[in-house]
Amino acid sequence: MGELVDARGLACPAPVVKTREALKSGASHLEVLVDNATARDNVTRFATSQGCQVDVLEEGAFFRIHIRRESPVEERSLEASVAPECRPGTESGKVLVLSSDIMGRGDQELGSILIKAFLNTLSESETLPWRMVLFNRGVLLAVEGADTVTALSNLATLGVEILVCGTCLDYFGVKDKVAVGTVSNMYEILDTMFMASSSITL
Amino acid sequence: MGPEDLDKVLRLLPPGDMREEILVGLDTQDDAAVFQLDEETALVHTVDFFTPIVDDPYAYGQIAAANALSDVYAMGGVPLTAMNIVCFPCSLGMDVLAEILRGGLDKVRESGAVVIGGHTVDDEEPKYGLAVTGKVHPKRILTCKGAKAGDALVLTKPLGTGILSTALKGGFLEEEDLVEAICGMARLNRDASRAALDAGAHACTDVTGFGLLGHLLNMLPEQGLGCEIKVSSLPLYPRVEEMASMGMIPAGAYRNLDFLAGNAKFAPDVSDVGKYIVCDPQTSGGLLLAFSPEGLADFATCMAEGHDWFLIGEFLESEHPLIRVIG
Repeated sequence: MGELVDARGLACPAPVVKTREALKSGASHLEVLVDNATARDNVTRFATSQGCQVDVLEEGAFFRIHIRRESPVEERSLEASVAPECRPGTESGKVLVLSSDIMGRGDQELGSILIKAFLNTLSESETLPWRMVLFNRGVLLAVEGADTVTALSNLATLGVEILVCGTCLDYFGVKDKVAVGTVSNMYEILDTMFMASSSITL
Repeated sequence: MGPEDLDKVLRLLPPGDMREEILVGLDTQDDAAVFQLDEETALVHTVDFFTPIVDDPYAYGQIAAANALSDVYAMGGVPLTAMNIVCFPCSLGMDVLAEILRGGLDKVRESGAVVIGGHTVDDEEPKYGLAVTGKVHPKRILTCKGAKAGDALVLTKPLGTGILSTALKGGFLEEEDLVEAICGMARLNRDASRAALDAGAHACTDVTGFGLLGHLLNMLPEQGLGCEIKVSSLPLYPRVEEMASMGMIPAGAYRNLDFLAGNAKFAPDVSDVGKYIVCDPQTSGGLLLAFSPEGLADFATCMAEGHDWFLIGEFLESEHPLIRVIG
């Protein structure tokens, strides 16, 4: 059973905002209740734009909208059929490697500011990587309390797969604090690197 | 209110008083009323106010004033005086209200008119606007009817303010993302109106709450004239398409589309969001003008440099008032 978002009685754009929040928090299956056609169409439009599968059921005085997040491959084909010019592109094959929790060598404080700005910019970019691999201190970007979690969650919502090195999480003692991405292993990381059409290491 | 609801209410009322001094009154879909004083002079009356559409109080004041003044410009008039209409919660701080009024005042001054009074009401949600009086020569009034088959359809501001302000409200955009739209909404329709008069426009209205198609439909008589517009030629503010495809379409756009019903035909190559963009309610939108080919050439000359205008369609012979929208 998916997460339930009751947006009945709410006027536009609140139902879309609530749907977006639920998807951002990582839900892969949602049921959104709305009580007017405007909200039904806008929520449907939003979920479709995010590459989700959407089904609408009319139940008396309200609508029940089923939203399922699909795998990235299906997301792309879905996106392409709707309005390609508006979708951020998820290029399969491009891998972004984050091996540190700062950007560049040198000043620690500056590096933290830069990596946050980098991830925020990336999450608003037209071109997105297929996967992101986080290892060594890079895994700290994805744990609770890190100010980069929001940007990474946005990227995940846009269909970017985020692999977080399990060995590294263990080493830093934060395995139970992962806030975004899937805990991964060296086999998968190796596979990802080999499958990559190109990889960018930060 | 949506066009359908407004129509229902007005039907409940007795018809407006007929007097020969009323050159434009309740019986047309025009932007302002015109009352003749003598051979040379008629007064143009209009009022408009609304809730904040941006957070910056000064910008809101400017936009509300440009929007209210626009109705006078849409009739070919020159604004003379304006009165503030203010609904405001005292809890919000008087400095905020002062900024709103300063924005309005600056815009009225820019138009050459003067603010000579106003009225305030304590209200939970702020609302601001103005009642504006202007003057026009009785023989030089621009009205929404008068377009002829073969006329060019011109729009003088980009579209999409309803979608953008919905996205702003929903947290999908920041106020910085709306800079161009805010500048556009705050711009007076004065120069476009003057150029339209000089170039002999056949008809004029401004695009506001009923959206592009709703106001365009007001330009069509009950029979004999239709219009074709091309969605790909429409000027849009930045990020309008993107926000519309993410579901940031205001309820007003849905209402406007419903109201058009049989009066609009969409070609198969018009996208889903395209239908709503042409029905998006606008705040302080541009003038919508009809010109003969010669008039269009004159208008192009009259519009000083730096003034936007866009050729977006053509009036055609048609049995019924029909707007054909192509991709």
